[in-house]
Amino acid sequence: MIFDIVITSLIKGSTYAMLAIGFSLIFGVARIVNIAHTAFYMVAAYCIFYTTTQLGFNPILAIFVAVILVSLLGLITFKLLIAPIREHEAAVLIATIALAIALQEVMMILFTGDYRSVPPLVPGFATIMGVKVFYQQLLTFVSVLVVLGLMYLFLQYTRLGLAIRATAQDREVANLMGMNESQVAMLAMGISVGLAGVTGAVLAPLSIVEPHMWNHPLAMMLAVVVLGGLGSIKGSLYAAFILGTAEALVVFMIPAGAYLKGAVALSIMVFVLLVRPAGLFGVQFEEER
Amino acid sequence: MLEINDLTVCYDKAMILNGISLRVDEGELVSLVGPNGAGKSTTMRAVSGLVQWEKAQHRGNEGDITIKGTIEFMGHPIHRKPAHKIAEMGLILCPERRRPFKEMTVFENLRAGAYMIKDKKEAEHNLQNVYKLFPILQERSHQLSGTLSGGEQQMLAIGRSLMCNPKLLCIDEPSTGLSPIMRAEVFRKIMEIKAMGITVLLVEQEVSMVFKMTQRNYVLSSGKIIAEGSGEELLKDEVLRKTYLGM
Ligand SMILES: Nc1ncnc2c1ncn2[C@@H]1O[C@H](COP(=O)(O)OP(=O)(O)O)[C@@H](O)[C@H]1O
Ligand SMILES: [Mg+2]
Repeated sequence: MIFDIVITSLIKGSTYAMLAIGFSLIFGVARIVNIAHTAFYMVAAYCIFYTTTQLGFNPILAIFVAVILVSLLGLITFKLLIAPIREHEAAVLIATIALAIALQEVMMILFTGDYRSVPPLVPGFATIMGVKVFYQQLLTFVSVLVVLGLMYLFLQYTRLGLAIRATAQDREVANLMGMNESQVAMLAMGISVGLAGVTGAVLAPLSIVEPHMWNHPLAMMLAVVVLGGLGSIKGSLYAAFILGTAEALVVFMIPAGAYLKGAVALSIMVFVLLVRPAGLFGVQFEEER
Repeated sequence: MLEINDLTVCYDKAMILNGISLRVDEGELVSLVGPNGAGKSTTMRAVSGLVQWEKAQHRGNEGDITIKGTIEFMGHPIHRKPAHKIAEMGLILCPERRRPFKEMTVFENLRAGAYMIKDKKEAEHNLQNVYKLFPILQERSHQLSGTLSGGEQQMLAIGRSLMCNPKLLCIDEPSTGLSPIMRAEVFRKIMEIKAMGITVLLVEQEVSMVFKMTQRNYVLSSGKIIAEGSGEELLKDEVLRKTYLGM
């Protein structure tokens, strides 16, 4: 049972980390609170479902197609829906909620509300310490780690990564260094949604694919971001594993705990907001006058 | 090189700059001085495009910003250009309060300053030049910039602005909050920068040291240029000296 909990915490933690980091990225760079973030994750899962089970794509190809399609969708909605109203925070919030619901309804029309499942990309399991660990679980975990590692290298060591970090810290000074803020925002949006897409793609075989599957990850992701500190990527990473573990503990230790999953996120969120509103690693954004 | 003509900036209904005109010629070190709240930083922000950027951010919101008048840099009008384009032309602002990227190391800050330099060799060359001018930055290169002292942060901010070969460097209140020794050090570095052939527009409140460095100065008060001239000329005027220059 302990090993079960560890496996579940690691998988949950790493997927929440991916989601929260993508969410933080676009918030940090462009101050956009993208509520539709996990809806893109849902779209990616459906892409995987459709391309593998209906079109018979090879799983690896399916992942690429899903991530590219979702990133494009993200960029298009950014350009058409979010960019024109970026100055109005409340409008962005409403627009992204509307977008999430619209995506949900589109999936509902295309695929009905039936629960779908996607076969594992790598079938089979290993028995470790008496516990069945599906290769798919390992694959998901490892891909998330690889993507997060690549993300880190990109942000840390490339010119564009530096521009993203600079813009996230101080948009005005980034402008003064010749960084084109709206282009950086576009890039960050692409990466952000791309990360949501990867998460949906590698997680699809482990979850039930249905039009509301973005709700729970959204609550968890927001809780992660609140706990880690809005805008802090490092904070998101730690908080994601803390929350992933908390969720796994509740699910495994408490009878009928699966029904309490949502409560975990909400109670942690409320607790953090009461005790330490800046979160673990709250970033102080340079005050723009 | 820089020519501001009848520039007026209003935030909402408050007129922050009221038709100011000033000029900086190539190779000069010109100062813009005046009391707190005179509009010096707003002038710098308009020149570097930040006021325009702010205006775009507030598009359609309350607190509208209006900008009138013209700003020319090397013969090209820049008052409608976005800030990053102005930077690309070689007009760089080292902003008020230094504003290093606090979560980045000194080295990363300097690399961010060289964002526009795509040639690796050139960026490396500029980095060595900045290290030569500010050896302390090389010593501290792997330290987070948020942990530097005020004086070191100012050196970093200036160093960062030098990374992209500026033609005109505008520096907003580099000496504020520093010890007298550090101030003298910063001003010495600014003289060195001028000697490198970079034109400098320096905003300051502390005039005694600045007037020893400059030939021409502008005095700004309540959004208007109220006097212009050499330090000596300006200090001759009793009223100006006591009321606006605080000496
Ligand atoms: N964003 C803003 N909105 C409204 N008023 C502002 C804004 N920025 C500056 N001001 C006002 O403009 C005046 C000039 O400010 P500033 O240019 O910072 O002066 P200085 O740099 O000379 O101290 C001040 O009275 C300040 O309160
Ligand atoms: Mg000022």
